[in-house]
Amino acid sequence: MQNGVSCLTLPMKLFEYEGAELFRREGISVPHSSLASSPKEAKEKAQEIGLPVIIKAQVLTGGRYLAGGVRTAHVLDDVERIATRILGSKIHGLPVDKVLITRKLEIETEYYLAITVDSYQGTPVAIISSSGGVSINGTASDKPESVVTKPISIIQGLPLQQARKMCREVGLIGKEAASVAEVLCSLYNIFRDYDALLAEINPLAKIKSGKLMAIDSKIELDDSGLYRHPDIKFDKKSRIYNVLERKSKDVGVSYVELDGDIAIIASGAGLGMASMDIINRRMDSANFLETGGGITEELLYDVMDLVLQKEGIRAIFINVYGGINPIHEGAKGVVRYMQEHNITIPVVAKALGNRQEETWEIFRNHGVHVVDGVSTESGIELLSKVLKEAK
Amino acid sequence: MSILLNKDTRAMVQGITGKTGRVQTMWMLQYGTNIVAGCTPGKGGQEVEGVPVYNTVAECVESQSAEASLFFVPPPAFKQAAYETIDAGIKLIVVVTEHLPVHDVMEIKEYSRDKDVQIIGPTTPGIITVGEAKMGIMPGNMFNPGRIGIISRSGTLSYETSINLAKDGYGQSTVIGIGADPVVFTDLPDLLRMFEEDRDTDLIVIVGEVGGIQEEKAAEYIDRWMTKPVVAYIAGLNTPEGKKMGHAGAIIQGDGKGTPQSKIAALREVGVDIARYPADIVGLVKQRLG
Repeated sequence: MQNGVSCLTLPMKLFEYEGAELFRREGISVPHSSLASSPKEAKEKAQEIGLPVIIKAQVLTGGRYLAGGVRTAHVLDDVERIATRILGSKIHGLPVDKVLITRKLEIETEYYLAITVDSYQGTPVAIISSSGGVSINGTASDKPESVVTKPISIIQGLPLQQARKMCREVGLIGKEAASVAEVLCSLYNIFRDYDALLAEINPLAKIKSGKLMAIDSKIELDDSGLYRHPDIKFDKKSRIYNVLERKSKDVGVSYVELDGDIAIIASGAGLGMASMDIINRRMDSANFLETGGGITEELLYDVMDLVLQKEGIRAIFINVYGGINPIHEGAKGVVRYMQEHNITIPVVAKALGNRQEETWEIFRNHGVHVVDGVSTESGIELLSKVLKEAK
Repeated sequence: MSILLNKDTRAMVQGITGKTGRVQTMWMLQYGTNIVAGCTPGKGGQEVEGVPVYNTVAECVESQSAEASLFFVPPPAFKQAAYETIDAGIKLIVVVTEHLPVHDVMEIKEYSRDKDVQIIGPTTPGIITVGEAKMGIMPGNMFNPGRIGIISRSGTLSYETSINLAKDGYGQSTVIGIGADPVVFTDLPDLLRMFEEDRDTDLIVIVGEVGGIQEEKAAEYIDRWMTKPVVAYIAGLNTPEGKKMGHAGAIIQGDGKGTPQSKIAALREVGVDIARYPADIVGLVKQRLG
């Protein structure tokens, strides 16, 4: 539910080193760097690259620097010591299993460049700032004149002249404006070519020699666009750390694990969120789960298995509508799972829409408590009642 | 006539020969929708539920005067189908398709901007003008005719809201899903305008969701233009906070927007009644309409 969007459209975030790989393909310069997954390897790579080096935790979250995930080493022993500390640590709850060793460069100026989607306007947007770096968010509010934002016509693309004009507007001149503009156009090409929702360079550094280098990358690809990029070999599932959330990708549903013990199975994102809102008044949801429009007997069988893999589930609340979904088929999957696995915890189902009577009958014949009312609230009331009686 | 769709609208279905297309065409015909044609490239000459199938949209327009189209086309075929449909002069397109690449949606949104076409979706259940016609996948038995307009980000919650209202005797004029994707073709303020101008609608219910800034934009519109009462529910109060889309998202959207709290505050500020839970919508409607 990141960025609020239904889980269906969660972006696929790329690691810094994966983003750097796309930069290289598009001709954007990146510092000489190498990946390491052990302190010993880090030391070897640092030796190859040449000191001093920066050791950067490869983890899919921002704020790495402030969390201690980015450190400079001037001698080889420091490389090993720092890598030992970063590898195996957690940054904002995410485990670090790789570090990127990069050459430390002498930076003169830092810019911020990004292409992203303005969801409301429905256009790509280019953002450029003459003062990049870790405090870019503050810059946007404190010194708005140093940040320029322009919508881009997705049909016409980003012409070099428009990119140059943006550079001039943030105070760049001459050759510098021209070369930053070129990088911005390359970044837009990456955004378009890979169906990205975000392509960000922060900072784009001008080093002593005058060359521009992308010091960091932040790229998020549109999950729905991945099918047309078979050349992207990055494993999608490896970046989902939660075991059940990873499994949910195989099942083909959106699942988010929560702290409670009441499992939710909903046929839409809004309905799932509303169920969660209402359950959490008096109880605690164990998960958010929505099937979208793909319910089959098999799918709900698998979904039952998925939600019950979490320890300590006290009850299951099913909330489905028969619009595009054949809920009578789904009901067969639920009860087959219950029979085969001898499920004794209460299962409460609210099922309305096309073929509702048929669905109720399948549920009732197999011990599922069918909700009489039409509101999700009435369903949760029945759930509380059934739980009390079970005690 | 409510908004966008009525019993006379000459509708066509794209992807009518697929499994979903067939089943949904049957339900829509049963509901009374005036489906005059279907389109699937290469399947011209067939019939689905008595509806003639053509190879191209242009043929559907020429032979059957189709004016509105419902999309069940799969994502890889969407962009081409959309260009074809807009160029054929169709005035209303309803895109039920899920999982469309955002770039394709942006491209078609830009292409359609200066053209005389209204596109709803993607990932929408569609539009139902209750008792007259439905272009979409919503189960018809969830709705009762009446004078409340519903605009929903979520399909399932639009059904839930309608049936909750019906239980207390409040029916709907038109119920429309704006679509659950990050980029949608028709925004909340556009639909508010249509309901404001509709003689068959007395009150509008917005069913929102965490994320995006549709509800915040709706609040601006309501403040400037609306005379009819508006009731809203925003799903996802308990959504665990997600991570931001890099810095760029915050720069574009402004920090602190997109949360249920920010949406509720913005709507409340302009006089919208906020339901804390979905069934509370009914009580608020009752207070407003008596």
